[in-house]
Amino acid sequence: MRHPATRSIVAISIAIILLFLAPFFLNILQTRMLIEIAYFSLFAVSYNFLFGYAGLLSFGHAAFFGLGAYTTAILMKTIGGMPLLLAMASGGIVAALGGVIIGFFCVRRKGAYFALLTLAFNQFLWAMAWKWRALTGGDDGIGDIVPDQPIHLGIVKLDLYELEPMYYLVMVIVLVFLGAGWYLTKSPFGNSVMAIKGNDERAAFLGYNVTRSKLFMFTFSSFYAGIAGSLFALFQDFVATSSIDLSMSTQVIFMAFLGGTGSYLGPILGSAIFVYFTDWISGLTDRWEFILGVLFIILVLFFREGFIGLIPAKLRSIFATGEAT
Amino acid sequence: MESTLSILFIQAIHGLVYGMLLFLVASGLTLVFGMMDVLNIAHAGFYMLGAYVGAAMLLSTGNFLLSLIVAPISMALVGAVVERYFLRRVHIHGHAFELLITFGVFYIIGETVKWIWGNFPRPVDVPGILSGAIPMFGTAYPVYRLFILFISFLVLVLMLYVFMKTRIGINIRAAVSDPYMVNALGINVPRLFLGVFSGGAALAGLAGVVASPVLSTYPGMGLDMMVDTFVVIVIGGFGSLFGAFVASLMIGELQCFGVHFIPRLALVFQFLLMAAVLIIMPTGLFGEKE
Repeated sequence: MRHPATRSIVAISIAIILLFLAPFFLNILQTRMLIEIAYFSLFAVSYNFLFGYAGLLSFGHAAFFGLGAYTTAILMKTIGGMPLLLAMASGGIVAALGGVIIGFFCVRRKGAYFALLTLAFNQFLWAMAWKWRALTGGDDGIGDIVPDQPIHLGIVKLDLYELEPMYYLVMVIVLVFLGAGWYLTKSPFGNSVMAIKGNDERAAFLGYNVTRSKLFMFTFSSFYAGIAGSLFALFQDFVATSSIDLSMSTQVIFMAFLGGTGSYLGPILGSAIFVYFTDWISGLTDRWEFILGVLFIILVLFFREGFIGLIPAKLRSIFATGEAT
Repeated sequence: MESTLSILFIQAIHGLVYGMLLFLVASGLTLVFGMMDVLNIAHAGFYMLGAYVGAAMLLSTGNFLLSLIVAPISMALVGAVVERYFLRRVHIHGHAFELLITFGVFYIIGETVKWIWGNFPRPVDVPGILSGAIPMFGTAYPVYRLFILFISFLVLVLMLYVFMKTRIGINIRAAVSDPYMVNALGINVPRLFLGVFSGGAALAGLAGVVASPVLSTYPGMGLDMMVDTFVVIVIGGFGSLFGAFVASLMIGELQCFGVHFIPRLALVFQFLLMAAVLIIMPTGLFGEKE
């Protein structure tokens, strides 16, 4: 138990067991909230692959979330008997393709230029979703995505109109991807991306292909955002332009920075806080979005590490052996 | 009887009007970027807030001239506060947090507008003296749009004068090309930057007031303007005032002719143009800065 890695494994295992038992002692609303937190965690972590690890500040990450959501919805809607998991994987792949194309334009640029381009491309895709009614339904969106028949996954049969099967499906997918993402950030590739963030000229001199590494990270992040988007589409059973507009990009920025971009777990904590906080405060006042903005400004001015920075370092290290920055 | 030619002329002038409005907003944005490498996302927020403040003035006093003066001045004050008490505080923490703070300000301006004036469009009446139309190219052209042209060209001439003939203008141009050197030469660059930031905000506010009777006021107007000015800056080249001018007119014309001929794709054209410029001339038409 003294070795930090062992402690982490134990702590994470306990967390996972608690998550799997959660539906038994949470009510319906709380379970639904947990599902939301799960896919937004994936989205926020994918955002942090860009900012926390590669140092790329994107203002258009909803583009890929939306691509994933729309792809899944359109496939489920137009192709009869479309396997759900295939539709969701396609969501991730289409988002990754979008990531390659948009990334090609953006990753050569740094700082403000990168931020501006990501925002512009996000608006471009939003405009497409808005105008291409035949495909996307415009502002009416696409509904009725959940398959009518229970889906078979090897030995289990899931009726997704029930909340618990939905919970376990979303949770398993999210945990698998979060685990794989964590593994990637610890890999030599993850280290090289962080070296680029630290000083890209030095990384280039050391022989790393800076542009290619950034493009790969951008694509990978888009893929994750796409998967998160397809989970969103499935759970909401509805996709509209709100999944691809600037407020969705804003939301992921809030979530990532609320939790803290300096560690892998920060954005996960951030999305949990965001979902609970908005749920709580929107019950109190109609002006909750204003308050959210003020909170964000305070965060940027005074607490740049995010909420995870308020947790004592010792406690943090139990969950995360080795931080991103 | 309107001929095809007269329609083309009218569209061209429409495009010129919108292009000049774009330039009023984009000029401040590109100067701020040129001087401090800060992409001021809140800039289009000043445009929107200016439009709403101007419209509120017009509604309560009925005096358009007053709103034409009050809105830019109040935006200059808001801009100065944002620069002095928000942007400058995070400067030492790097570009990312500068961007995030202006983004936060943009968000709050948007929410404030929704809070005070509601989340729906509010049309603004064309002020009495400037309503009506005059004959032009065989058809009637609204006087108010010509007034926008007049105002924006007036501002353009003033800007040219300031930049070419005054000490401040020379300092600003020097600071855009190398702020560290100018600072080392004993010019107070932070103060100069504060001036440019708040002056840019005033211009954005002015653009908002003059635009509101034509484009109406709505909570999404800031975002629409932001995206257009971003495209302008990419095409014109970062930090280049002349590039911003040329690109503004290009985007203005492109949008007006686009809406006229292929309305379904009008929203998409500017992005395609932007992508094309990025492939062919990555630094923009007149940009030197990376």
